[in-house]
Amino acid sequence: MAGIYVHIPFCKSKCSYCDFTSFPDKLCFAESYMACVYREMSFRRKELKDYSFDTLYIGGGTPSVIDESYIGMLIASARKNFNLAKNAEITIELNPGTVTADKIDFYKKCGVNRFSVGLQSAIDSQLEDIGRMHTAADFLECARLLKGENFNADVLIGLKGQTAADVLYTIDFAAEAGASHISMYALTPEDGTPIYTDYLNGELPDADEVAALYQAGFNRLKELGFIRYEVSNFCKRGKESRHNLNYWRRGEYIGFGVSASSCIKNVRFTNTFDLDEYFKCIFTEHLPVINSEEVDEEGQKFEYIMLALRTAEGLDAHEYKKLFGVDFFEEHKAALKKVGRYLDTEGDSVKIKDEYLFVQNSIIIEFLEN
Amino acid sequence: MKKPNPLIRNFCIIAHIDHGKSTLADRIMELTGQVSERDMEDQLLDSMDIERERGITIKLTPVRMFYSADDGNEYIFNLIDTPGHVDFTYEVSRSLAACEGALLVVDASQGIEAQTLANVYLALENDLEILPVINKIDLPSARPDEAKKEIEDVIGLDASYAPLVSAKEGLNIKEILEDIVRYFPAPSGDLDAPLKALIFDSYYDNYKGVILFVRVKDGSVKKGDRIKTFRSDKVYEVTEVGVFAPGLYEKSGLFAGEVGYIAASIKSIQDVAVGDTVTFADEPAAEPLPGYKKVQPVVFCGIYPLDGSKFNDLKEALIKLRLNDASLVFEPDNSVALGFGFRCGFLGLLHMEIIQERIEREFSLDIITTAPSVSYKVVKTDGSELFVDNPSHLPPQSEIDHMEEPIVKVDIYSPPDYLGPIMDLCREKRGVFKEMTYLEANRVQLIYEMPLNEIIFEFFDAVKSRTRGYASFDYELIGYSASKLVKLDILLNGEACDALSMIVHEDSAYSRGRTLCENLKEAIPRQLFEIPVQAAIGGKIIARETVKAMRKDVLAKCYGGDITRKKKLLEKQKEGKKRMRTIGSVEVPSEVFMQILKTNKD
Repeated sequence: MAGIYVHIPFCKSKCSYCDFTSFPDKLCFAESYMACVYREMSFRRKELKDYSFDTLYIGGGTPSVIDESYIGMLIASARKNFNLAKNAEITIELNPGTVTADKIDFYKKCGVNRFSVGLQSAIDSQLEDIGRMHTAADFLECARLLKGENFNADVLIGLKGQTAADVLYTIDFAAEAGASHISMYALTPEDGTPIYTDYLNGELPDADEVAALYQAGFNRLKELGFIRYEVSNFCKRGKESRHNLNYWRRGEYIGFGVSASSCIKNVRFTNTFDLDEYFKCIFTEHLPVINSEEVDEEGQKFEYIMLALRTAEGLDAHEYKKLFGVDFFEEHKAALKKVGRYLDTEGDSVKIKDEYLFVQNSIIIEFLEN
Repeated sequence: MKKPNPLIRNFCIIAHIDHGKSTLADRIMELTGQVSERDMEDQLLDSMDIERERGITIKLTPVRMFYSADDGNEYIFNLIDTPGHVDFTYEVSRSLAACEGALLVVDASQGIEAQTLANVYLALENDLEILPVINKIDLPSARPDEAKKEIEDVIGLDASYAPLVSAKEGLNIKEILEDIVRYFPAPSGDLDAPLKALIFDSYYDNYKGVILFVRVKDGSVKKGDRIKTFRSDKVYEVTEVGVFAPGLYEKSGLFAGEVGYIAASIKSIQDVAVGDTVTFADEPAAEPLPGYKKVQPVVFCGIYPLDGSKFNDLKEALIKLRLNDASLVFEPDNSVALGFGFRCGFLGLLHMEIIQERIEREFSLDIITTAPSVSYKVVKTDGSELFVDNPSHLPPQSEIDHMEEPIVKVDIYSPPDYLGPIMDLCREKRGVFKEMTYLEANRVQLIYEMPLNEIIFEFFDAVKSRTRGYASFDYELIGYSASKLVKLDILLNGEACDALSMIVHEDSAYSRGRTLCENLKEAIPRQLFEIPVQAAIGGKIIARETVKAMRKDVLAKCYGGDITRKKKLLEKQKEGKKRMRTIGSVEVPSEVFMQILKTNKD
């Protein structure tokens, strides 16, 4: 199992918490950019000829701001260069207010079968506060267009002044509108983003408050029949994002476009974050990779544990042994002794107990070798 | 009898911290051509990193210079740089014994400061000629006349001829050099008498063995001489003698009146204690020179390696530090919470801090230190007595008949304006008033008797802050006195932590217990479970705080590009944990053991 990620670094405006590579003022370069992405795919064709991919994820930025025909060509190019399974999961990120019925129809025609909508909050004042361009009503319109489709709604917790009631309202709103998948993220104020100032000024809810919001959201999602399959991801039965599960299972993936990262044969590498640099590389027939690091076995093991323990499914000691040739329980005896009481262990399966999933770092680092 | 070279001047500089002592030393060296401008580094004699960073002098450092005076003669100057802080009085007294004169540097805008006084008196006791120098006259706030008057009023020295200088600008430095020639006496002594040389410092050199810093009082010494010291019968053959230039500079011989070094392949510092007198093995002098006041450590604390396997490295570090700091004492110790380490004795809190810092820097060792303590006398019910400086070594309460604590006589010198605040402070610190004397119109001496353990709890800072730095104090141990002392234990998650125990007076046990719990609550990071922090006396809980369980510790998102970054974040978090000690099931940052005291408000 392997995945393809494509980064579309354009958007209408930058949200105040956004730490992704995205250029609200460079939409005019979309055509050249996409041509470069197709070209970049062809550079990798030979290298990846033996791979079969079963997910394609088009993220950003806001992929829905560029003309839908580019998305069509993108998917065609992916199919032309790689073995992308017939029933591949193909996801595109959308923002409410950037789509029309025609656009969605076209996406569907091209094979897109999963959508991820940036709702964030169903309260307009909060949306405005974080610099979102849309309203709650725009989301409803978008959801209407996606009726019957498999779609995710992103929900942020930890917004300025946000109460548990606000979170519940937003979750109900998304579920009612037909979302089959809800990603509930805690806002992470990154240095350099506008919201970081709010964070420094102490205007954002503190860790305890965020934990309470999360707990409230978690309970409601459970009531609504959403299953938590990863710390921040909830879905109706069978609607897990296969693309993201691949990350958490330490699967291989290849990324295209600025800032995209990849992990192929235990080498992690990242493309340049600079748009001009990206163009320059592609036009001179170079890979736009800026750093590349081979993950040693110890690193692989830790990544495996760190990622697996994020998921509700947890870690499979049988697979661990298959991958690394050692017994998980034997190798991590000391760590297990220390944090065993926060884990549920059943046969080969090891997972963090529900009530500790939100304090998982302290547990996971015990598995890190000195 | 043959007099020593009359063209030698041995002197030191006394100054308050920050009054420009090291800068003045730099200028003097520059002017005498000792150091070329090219090699000139600021504060040349403060060679330790800590000294440069903190802007203080900890170790004395000698240097020899030549000066062509206006009288046509070329003089030899031996300057011995000395520390300014009260904790290092011991070091000061050592350098004073090697000199005939002292420059008293006074900041023209700040006037004479309290700490300087103690050293001035020390110099007067040693019969040194004192030359006042008014420094920093380039500052707009300089008040040289007031500074002069202050010197006359407070110390009773004639300051009318004191040179007005700016060490920073290099102004009037030559005047000082002329005054040194004029006012400081040439060394006395007898060149023909048997060798008598005072050891005022030493350090260990990997190739030459122990290097003795000496002041030759009588006779002379050269390579090949057989020497011994008064306190030991071991005989050594001198392999090298020389002077400080400021590095070691070999010479054919050292003569009465000179300051220099002797190397004699001495392997063990034990046999050549600082303060001892070097003489010839075959033709010894009749009696040693008066040594120094023997110093007793008054403050104790535990030092443990952060990484338990570094115990031997720590031991090595302490041994090396003791080579040139004879006042440091230590013995092996172990703690349930902290493992194997050492119980160390110091001259004061600053001395303790400096040693801790030197261990960390010069030996790259991460250490954990426990709260400072004093040495208590415990009288057991069976009549036997023992001294305990480590709270965790205290016998069970049932075996203790009573305890006695060290009492010191504290001499506080202050302008009269601050008597009220000082007296309040002394009373709060369980002091007993003894005497008050007006030494001069502007200077009062207060004498209190006070438990030493109150002095180590931030007394120094309190005196300074309540008198805006004008008061100074000195203390000496006068004995032990029975006191209602109790052992205060700290329990983390129900388990006693021996490294956090302390001995306190019963009356302050409750408030200290409360403060400690509050401080610990702040200092201990939240963990996956709730941690009760309790203070107890003999099993009775007197205070409690709770460190709440952590509720959020998660990386919200983790997708393709995040994985490497998130892994690094977790590695960093793990790294932070290395600086923690596990006590029972609780992880405690190593700084906590020391911080607890510091955040304790008086």
